[in-house]
Amino acid sequence: MIELEGATRTYGAKVAVDALRLTIPPGELFAFLGPNGAGKTTTIKMLVGLLRPSGGSIRVCGLDVVSQAREASLQIGYVPDQPYLYEKLTGREFLRFIADMYGLDARVAKERVEHEIRRFELEDFADYLAESYSHGMKQRTVFASALLHDPAVLIVDEPMVGLDPHSARLVKNLLRAEARAGKTILMSTHTLHVAEEIADRIGILAHGRLRFLGTVSMLRDEIKQEHLELEGLYLELMSQNLDASQSG
Amino acid sequence: MNVRYSSLARATTIEEEARGFGRLRQRLLRAAVFGALHNSRLRISVVVLLSLAFWGGLYFLFREGFAFLASYIGQASELYRETVEIIFNIFFASLTIMLVFSAGIIFYGGLYRSWETRMLLTLPVRAERIVLYRFQESLFFSSWGFFLLGSPMLVAYGVVEGSPWLYFMLLAPFVLAFACIPCACGAIACLLIVDRIPRARRYVVAAAVVLVIAGGATIAWSVFGARESDLLTAPWFQDTVHRLSFSEHRLLPSWWLSSGLLEAARTQRLAINDFPLAESVKFLGLLIANAMASVVVLVLIGGASFRRSYSALYCRHSNSRRGRFAWIDHRIMTLIPFATSQVRLLLVKDLRVFRRDPLQWSQFLIFFGLLGLYFVNIRRFTYESHYAAWVNMISFLNLAVVGLILSTFTTRFIFPMISLEGKRFWILGLLPVERDTILWGKFVFASVASLAPCCLLILLSDVMLRISWIVLAVHQFTCVMLCLGLSGIAVGLGARMPNFSERSPSKIAAGFGGTVNLVLSTLYILVEVLLTAPPCHFYVATSRDPLAARFADAAPIEMWIGAGTAAAVLIGLAATFVPMRIGLRAFRTMEF
Repeated sequence: MIELEGATRTYGAKVAVDALRLTIPPGELFAFLGPNGAGKTTTIKMLVGLLRPSGGSIRVCGLDVVSQAREASLQIGYVPDQPYLYEKLTGREFLRFIADMYGLDARVAKERVEHEIRRFELEDFADYLAESYSHGMKQRTVFASALLHDPAVLIVDEPMVGLDPHSARLVKNLLRAEARAGKTILMSTHTLHVAEEIADRIGILAHGRLRFLGTVSMLRDEIKQEHLELEGLYLELMSQNLDASQSG
Repeated sequence: MNVRYSSLARATTIEEEARGFGRLRQRLLRAAVFGALHNSRLRISVVVLLSLAFWGGLYFLFREGFAFLASYIGQASELYRETVEIIFNIFFASLTIMLVFSAGIIFYGGLYRSWETRMLLTLPVRAERIVLYRFQESLFFSSWGFFLLGSPMLVAYGVVEGSPWLYFMLLAPFVLAFACIPCACGAIACLLIVDRIPRARRYVVAAAVVLVIAGGATIAWSVFGARESDLLTAPWFQDTVHRLSFSEHRLLPSWWLSSGLLEAARTQRLAINDFPLAESVKFLGLLIANAMASVVVLVLIGGASFRRSYSALYCRHSNSRRGRFAWIDHRIMTLIPFATSQVRLLLVKDLRVFRRDPLQWSQFLIFFGLLGLYFVNIRRFTYESHYAAWVNMISFLNLAVVGLILSTFTTRFIFPMISLEGKRFWILGLLPVERDTILWGKFVFASVASLAPCCLLILLSDVMLRISWIVLAVHQFTCVMLCLGLSGIAVGLGARMPNFSERSPSKIAAGFGGTVNLVLSTLYILVEVLLTAPPCHFYVATSRDPLAARFADAAPIEMWIGAGTAAAVLIGLAATFVPMRIGLRAFRTMEF
């Protein structure tokens, strides 16, 4: 479970995330949408412990991400937008290192590494150095590492970037399956059709504030455009916001 | 609402975490060594051979130096012991300052600017562990030069002294324990600066560098420049030895190191209750205890402040850069009228990247600041005519030192320039600009950036030493050739042997290409200086010493100067254009 209570983050005088209130329960796949600079990545960085909120609080599984950073990160699996792997480690060695850091017992670690290698179809390159991987291969390896310790919360920043159609389908099915299994999933994306396809709820962020929170059908009701898909609804909402900010 | 927890994850103990990171290091090292042995045996062989040759050359120089001292002063005399003590104390005290800055800068890059740290921060890893992990890396990268420079000197001293084998066994633990202390101090300073004053950290670092240089200038002034004295006379030497005694302060780790090593090297007992080895081990214990304490303090400060300071650093307000220093760029560009507009634009880009990266300019400032400090404090000695040849030799040594400092600069900053384009290389690759223009742009940048400070420093040195105008002209000319040649080697080899997968310039410089660049640059400097120095030496000797002039004819010596200069020109042109040609050929076909 993810709970943001008035979470705020400033960069000097600029407010990147403004008193964000949001609760994502277990078993929900939540999609974070919004234009560039809306505050999505800042929110994610606060959740995973890279940045600290300048106001409010953030809890993951009831654990405060600032005062209980280590305990909270044990519950999180994180897939960043730019995957980092050690160039001089093989995919399998990288996964073993991550398993070590999450305190998995040797036998369990071995089983889980093999399981994730199979699940993400890494068999063909898991024993090669990561310096030879394509972006998609790196992305799939990082996905596997994020799920090794069966986290309660999965945070994914732009999951579809660099994935081929087969891998994209693999990831979409996996995210749905993990949500069904009870994980809390927060996904930030610009790929609106993916959000529409797999998300239970969406949150649209602009200028650090939540402009909309609910399901796609609720957004249709709010915009009063029943025939539009998420992309059209999103653009309509953004233009309304622009008009409102210009007139206000 | 039911909260679900991970069924498998648990917080690791400190020991498990340490083992995990230990395995990580082992695997990375094994992969790097195996990869190098498997894919690039020739490269490894060349690096090992060149390193051995470099080490051997330094060992020979130091051994001859210590043997010279021993034979002229007398190995058993008190003055010899004092002189060696002074050499050790000054050498290690200077290295202490260099290590503090070098480790602090590398630690900052590793801890706050690397993608690996960013990844580690999202794992359930203690902040203390990340700090320690990064400290170990900065210790290695900042002190490898210290090992390379220090070890031949220490071994040479032991050989000349006829020290027991235990002295040689103790060298590694002494040097390692010592290096930990200044490196930990640099890392602690880095953590405190970023945590306490993240917005002003650049100014704090710049102020610290200026303070160190000013402090060094004051010390050097008090040592060498209090009054004009007769150079190389006994009172001058005694006075200088006395003034350098500040480096014998009992609280300086450099003093513990030199005292411990000198005790270990000592072969004779001075009294019945005099045990040199026990004294040495006492100093080693002192160093190890302080090294461990400084690392513990670093880890404690890191544990308390790292996550907070990391967040604060990335959440600071970023000022608009537009127009702030644009006038500097344009003014500098007007000084290079021969460059095309495209080359000028590339130069502005490189200049801005350099200026906005404190890791780069702070090291540049330290390199040339300390050298300037030395030259300013040479002081205008009065000296007898028969010392003229010695002074001339010092002036050429200064020239060689400037060249060597410049070669570390070109290896550290210029050689990695093409590699650092890395994943951004497509920007340059797709520009409607000839690739040759890009590379020549880098060459012009490197040459212009090095010409001004180097020529100025050499001029300063010559004016201080009251060198004759003809030698001064030869120095300036050699300096220009050195700047052009070293820039050509660094840019050409940088394009021929790029490493696009590495983001850290210090790691690129420490790699195979960087090593080849450094060795070739050193060889080039030696050849250039050796071609111009001996003719000038004989010219000065004959023109200042009436006795020598009686036996030598000035005309052939002037011809010799001319021939040496002509050879230096030819080699300089070859050093500039051959590597550039190789680099251009590789750069034209480079894929991205």
